[in-house]
Amino acid sequence: MKRHLLLYLIALPALVLTLTAQAHDPKEHMNEKQTPDCAAMKEMDHSKMNMNDPVMQAMMQKCMGKDTKMSSDGHDEAEVKEPAKHKHK
Amino acid sequence: MVSFGFVRCIKCLSVAAGLMVLTGIAFIYSGLYPMGADNQHTKLTFWVLETLRERSISRAAQDIEVPLDLDTPARLLRGGSDYAAMCASCHLAPDKNETDFTKGLYPKPPNLTMTHLDHGDPKDQDKQYFWIIKHGIKGSGMPAWGPGHTDEQIWNLVAFLKRLPELTPAQYQILTANVPE
Repeated sequence: MKRHLLLYLIALPALVLTLTAQAHDPKEHMNEKQTPDCAAMKEMDHSKMNMNDPVMQAMMQKCMGKDTKMSSDGHDEAEVKEPAKHKHK
Repeated sequence: MVSFGFVRCIKCLSVAAGLMVLTGIAFIYSGLYPMGADNQHTKLTFWVLETLRERSISRAAQDIEVPLDLDTPARLLRGGSDYAAMCASCHLAPDKNETDFTKGLYPKPPNLTMTHLDHGDPKDQDKQYFWIIKHGIKGSGMPAWGPGHTDEQIWNLVAFLKRLPELTPAQYQILTANVPE
């Protein structure tokens, strides 16, 4: 009987501690990184697509993997051409 | 006699102005003005604040030089991922009409997927978008993104905003999604 009580006294705080730790894991609060749904491009009406449109070109680059990966600070390190530099007040 | 009347008039006006100032100060200290975001401004207050905001931004942004290469895939991709991370919770995505933020924010943030602010010349609109993103707007939920972001990153956002209203949900998803590592 004493052993059972001791078991509960140890198991219950351990369970509470585990659940608390899970709830405060920073990863729980991070947005899941979405991957581009490139399959949706195949379902688009290709006859209405303008391949010279920058939106279309950007989607193609993203889905063909030319956009490469994101850096840890959330800004990409794309291989795409660097835009011209501007400095403003 | 004319000068005596004039002096009396000046005195009356000064007393009236003094009373108005004192009344204003008394009102401020009374705590009677409702500050809750769920209590909307009167039409007059709204007009004053909106006109003040629009004129101030228009003047401050007039000398900004707009890059010639805004409409490029590179800028759209970079601006897209930043928009999803920094802006979409308030300014929405093509498949969303509201979020928890938009329900409670006052003034309500503009839905940038639906309309552009009416600034006439598109170049003026680009300048004003850039200025607003960089400097934010006092007394609203719009923060200044200038600290921590380069001008190039802000121009990328402007480039994305220009095309956002015409994006379908599928196009938006692809442009804003991150490529897995």
